[in-house]
Amino acid sequence: MKIAVLLSAGRHPVSGRPAPVPVELQAIRLAVEIGRQFGGDVTGLHAGPELGPLTDALGHGLARLVHLHNEGESDPAPSLAAALAEGAYDLILAGRAGQGGEDSGLLPYTLARTLGLPIIADAAALALGEAPGTLGVEQALARGARRRLLVRLPALVTVHPAAPAPLPFAFAAARRGSSEARPGRHAPAPSPTVEERPYRPRPKLIAKAAAGSTALERLRAATEAASGGGRLLVDPAPEEAAREILAHLRALGLVTAR
Amino acid sequence: MSRPRKDPRAARAAHRIAGGARPRFDLAAAPAPAGRPRRDPRAEERLALVPGTLRRRLDRAQRVAVASAMPPALPEAPEAAPRLRVIAEPAFLVAVVPDAPGGRLSAHDRQLFGAARMLADEGGGAVLAFVAQPGEDLGPAGADRVLALPVSGHDPEAKALALNAALAALDLRHVLFPESTDGGDLARRLAALSGEPFFAGAESLSPKAVTRAARGRRVEQRRVPPRLVNLAPDAVAPHAGTLHEALPVAFAFPQPSGGAVLSAEFIPADPAKVSLAEADFVVSAGNGVSDLDTFRALVAALNGTPGASRMLCDAGLMPRSAQVGASGTVLDARVYFALGIAGAPQHLQGVAKCEQVIAVNTDLHAAMIERAGLAIVADAQKVMPALLALLQQERQP
Repeated sequence: MKIAVLLSAGRHPVSGRPAPVPVELQAIRLAVEIGRQFGGDVTGLHAGPELGPLTDALGHGLARLVHLHNEGESDPAPSLAAALAEGAYDLILAGRAGQGGEDSGLLPYTLARTLGLPIIADAAALALGEAPGTLGVEQALARGARRRLLVRLPALVTVHPAAPAPLPFAFAAARRGSSEARPGRHAPAPSPTVEERPYRPRPKLIAKAAAGSTALERLRAATEAASGGGRLLVDPAPEEAAREILAHLRALGLVTAR
Repeated sequence: MSRPRKDPRAARAAHRIAGGARPRFDLAAAPAPAGRPRRDPRAEERLALVPGTLRRRLDRAQRVAVASAMPPALPEAPEAAPRLRVIAEPAFLVAVVPDAPGGRLSAHDRQLFGAARMLADEGGGAVLAFVAQPGEDLGPAGADRVLALPVSGHDPEAKALALNAALAALDLRHVLFPESTDGGDLARRLAALSGEPFFAGAESLSPKAVTRAARGRRVEQRRVPPRLVNLAPDAVAPHAGTLHEALPVAFAFPQPSGGAVLSAEFIPADPAKVSLAEADFVVSAGNGVSDLDTFRALVAALNGTPGASRMLCDAGLMPRSAQVGASGTVLDARVYFALGIAGAPQHLQGVAKCEQVIAVNTDLHAAMIERAGLAIVADAQKVMPALLALLQQERQP
């Protein structure tokens, strides 16, 4: 089983220095664990002008790193698509979005489209399926829920930050790992259609307080429920209170009736 | 604070009696009311006095109408039913693809409709909603047209193919998606499929410009809204005011073919492991709870996520990660069950987003009791074992 992990040139969110993207290191862990269980080799792929701190990925469990050398600002998709098609990988893992570049998370989808592979988003855990050539993917959903999918391989899977933490960095593993440079396919980067400015956090909608209202009204809007008009029970017996609470929770569909 | 300045000459002139050769003034007559009327602080205090308490207690939150020297305000016009707005011949369409789990719109989906309404109303367009399964009425949310997608079960690829066909055939100026697991996935699939310009995770949206964070949230990218926009939560207010017709329309979608996903199974979250910010149902203890073993047993029996007030976390009785409130975790839960929590403003900020609150507290005037949908004025220490016994008794037979 051949597994590829796509690595992007990230930047540290605080210092702004070049750094590996955490979710891609998590993808390496998932790939290494799947490879260890079922006998597969894991290759990291990066397309760009230089590897830089991505060599750290070798210390996080990756055995082999392939650098597709591109000059300057160039679109990484054609280089990666060519290398992935040539390598005939069974499983391709990528982070859900980069950190430090465009960060739109679109590249895995365009690659999957080019290669004609199915794509599964937001994996938190991977397991091989019972039937040969299938992969079980646990997809992370909102509120800690999961969706278990069974996919036919080959497939491209993006990894969610809810996946297990990356393997700790080991210096010996980083020395042992090998990196190989290959010429990439040069493709001019698409001309920018966006205007860039320094980031300014936008205010989020919290609660609807009418403009020009008093401080008391704004505090109320921020703290009170929209529903209101609740039921009030003063000094009921504990048993009666318990019955009321349970009935209310059942009406909200939280405690299943037995 | 600016108050009109008193003009003693004008005040005197107001008392002047018209007619007569000599100027005469009637200073005893009440002057015409001018400017701000006087308040009667004693009357306000009398009304704010809560009766039936031993200690003198004032409720200045104005739950009782305060009578003042002010003339009564004109009765407001009765709240009219929302006006139905029909857009018969739209100039263009703005499409919305809500997640709508189980056919119910989430808060994020409603914000999406608000954004679509804003883009459509700019040039006489209409909002078209793509729904995967029939659910609630989309008219109040702001949908003019509703188109059902021919998708059954979890199949995002078939959904993307159907949307691509609609994108090519219909005059869709924009298609909006929520930046959620499923919505974000679908938007990127459609962007890769159609090659249309795509804007991921928009943090502000107007007909002229849309912005997003990029390069590790150090740069803001800004452009005119492209055809495919993926909207972050809490960026645009939901639609309110007018009612729309939500007219079902038909479209000949291509036949879906089998995808690579062989099976899909939903696994609900384990509430004991889920983090407080993600939890759906939080059971929280405050200073009115001293028996924490019973509390933990109750949380496990109710299948909730444990939370606590600042008091318990400061005392070391509950972990800091369980603290609810402005200095702890701001909840996103649907239901919040507060045991022995009075409700400090900082704590109430933490539960501001909860739809339903149940409170048990001994103080009738506690803020949490006022906030709650079901408020019980009782000792939480006695209610907890009763509730636990009731749950165990129901589970036994």
